Amino acid sequence: MSTSFLDRVTDLGHRRLRADRTSRDLFGYLLVGPGIALFLSFMLFPIVFLIYLSVTDATHAGTVIGGEASLIGVDNYVALFTDTQFWNSLGITWLFVAVSLLAKLVVAVTIAVVLTHSRVRGKRYMRAIVIVPMGFPEIFRVTIWRGLFSSARFGPLNEILAMYNGAVERLVGVVDAVAFFVTIEAPGLLLVDIPVAWLGGRWSTFLAYVTTEVWMAYPFMVIIIVSALQDVPMELHDAAKVDGAGYLHRFYHVTLPAIKRPVMFASILTAAASFQQFLVPWVFNRGGPGRQNELLLVYGFREAIELNEYAFASAIMVTAIAFIGMFMWLAVKKGRLAEGVN
Amino acid sequence: MLETITQTVEQVRTGRRTIGDLGKTGIGTVGAVAMLVVLMFPVYWIVTASFSQGAGLMSSDGLFADPATYNLDAYRWVLFESDFVFDNGEVGEPGALFNSLIVVFVTVSVSLSVIIPGAYALSRRKFAGREKILYGYVLFTQVGAGLSIATLIALYALFVNLGLSNNLLVLGVFYAAGAIPFNTWLLKTFMDNIPVSYEEAAIVDGASQWQVIREVILPLSKPGIAVVLIFTFLAGWNEFIIAQTLLRPENYTLSVELYSLAANEYETPWTEFAAFASLFALPVAIIYFATQSYVESGLSFGGMEG
Repeated sequence: MSTSFLDRVTDLGHRRLRADRTSRDLFGYLLVGPGIALFLSFMLFPIVFLIYLSVTDATHAGTVIGGEASLIGVDNYVALFTDTQFWNSLGITWLFVAVSLLAKLVVAVTIAVVLTHSRVRGKRYMRAIVIVPMGFPEIFRVTIWRGLFSSARFGPLNEILAMYNGAVERLVGVVDAVAFFVTIEAPGLLLVDIPVAWLGGRWSTFLAYVTTEVWMAYPFMVIIIVSALQDVPMELHDAAKVDGAGYLHRFYHVTLPAIKRPVMFASILTAAASFQQFLVPWVFNRGGPGRQNELLLVYGFREAIELNEYAFASAIMVTAIAFIGMFMWLAVKKGRLAEGVN
Repeated sequence: MLETITQTVEQVRTGRRTIGDLGKTGIGTVGAVAMLVVLMFPVYWIVTASFSQGAGLMSSDGLFADPATYNLDAYRWVLFESDFVFDNGEVGEPGALFNSLIVVFVTVSVSLSVIIPGAYALSRRKFAGREKILYGYVLFTQVGAGLSIATLIALYALFVNLGLSNNLLVLGVFYAAGAIPFNTWLLKTFMDNIPVSYEEAAIVDGASQWQVIREVILPLSKPGIAVVLIFTFLAGWNEFIIAQTLLRPENYTLSVELYSLAANEYETPWTEFAAFASLFALPVAIIYFATQSYVESGLSFGGMEG
């Protein structure tokens, strides 16, 4: 044998590994099996059960098992698709997804560009601080914002609006004092009527949801966009500068194309998360006022747990799951998610 | 710091940097700091509020109480009078903290016991359907977070019928199941980075399959396992809606107690709430940021490479 010691060792190793292959297959399944079984029993099985429930006439949790519910076919879906509350819920959910995605993109790109800009000192520390919201439990973040959006006169956001009103009045006062020949009063358009009952109106509630959602999700986007920005070659910027391109031109023609793909990927994931948002509407005012802001999952949850319409709620949840499945498909096709999985 | 300043002064004096150039940098930095202040306002508000017991927060002018009046009364209330540690603060009656710890203990032990073997198999073994499993895990992790709420009503119905609804152990297992995909994937990528040559060397030395796992793979995976332990801990500690749906008041975990404090629109005791929230969230946030680099690597899926 003329091969080196190292080759022989490796060869021996390979032989040992290969000889075990048949038993290894089974061993692999044995190891990975329990995890999959546990996951599926709490995830796939309930989905199947939901689909079954959605074609029965179960009303409350007690009738779900024990033969009290009978099969009624697609009646629940017919009732669902003719229910105006469903279309309202679906509409507001998609509006929420669209508006918050747009806001997240603007906020996250702004933060990322500022915190990678050459004129900013201490960028690294700032980048560490800016993603802090990500580290807190979701219920903590949501309840804080619920407090900020308090409708009380001295609630934090109302207090800030009061400061703003004060600033406008002082500014107008200064103008009034300078322009002594006319009397100027603060224009009503610039002043805000406080206290604002944030969670009492439909669109102010919607605004509160979007603000909270953006605050909770921007760190994820910032992380992705910052790492994409850092990968943009400086030479490209320099070349564009030499050619006389201004800042906006460079942003549009150099930066944007470079971060397009990662931003697309992050957008799909965060849109999917927004679509499944539950805690924000639930903790703020249960999708209120009335039922005007019930996002899809809140709608389904409420019909089941509070209104005892189990079968109907199951039909809602099956519809929601179908949309989530669509997001998964989108993530695979457009975001090329899981491409590196092996 | 001082060195940079003297250096800059020197540069300006010798004319290598203009004052205008310096001014632009100054404006840029100040702008960035201002942006940070606005973004971090909620966190700052909750922390200061927790020190402002009795200062009339939210009932008088001013966003923040006078720092001179800061006190720890709210924390004292949370620890000795609320349900945080003991029921109504009565020593000996286990409160929400105990319930949370029971749930978390079950979640961590159950999930680790299936995640470690699963990650090893996905990293080192070749079997049919391996990639499909990984694919499914990644997909669920990144897109399917709301599925557990969608399926919650079905599980709730089942649990009620089986008499399992108000059970901390069942809740812990539920969380463990939800934590499997992400953490298995995370540990698997960690194990991928352990060189195969170590195992080959052990096999050459006559080690059996089990010995290779026990004496090569497991010791080398310790940091990865530690991170997974933290994440599964957080999964049990942080979750709220499933706990609130399944549990009755005597079994409430910390997250549910926190919500109960904030649930009343006009009479929410904000300072007590703030202290409760801080004690609930700040320790885990610190742990979370200690593992920050892993969080970011957890985000680096195929599609992100551009």
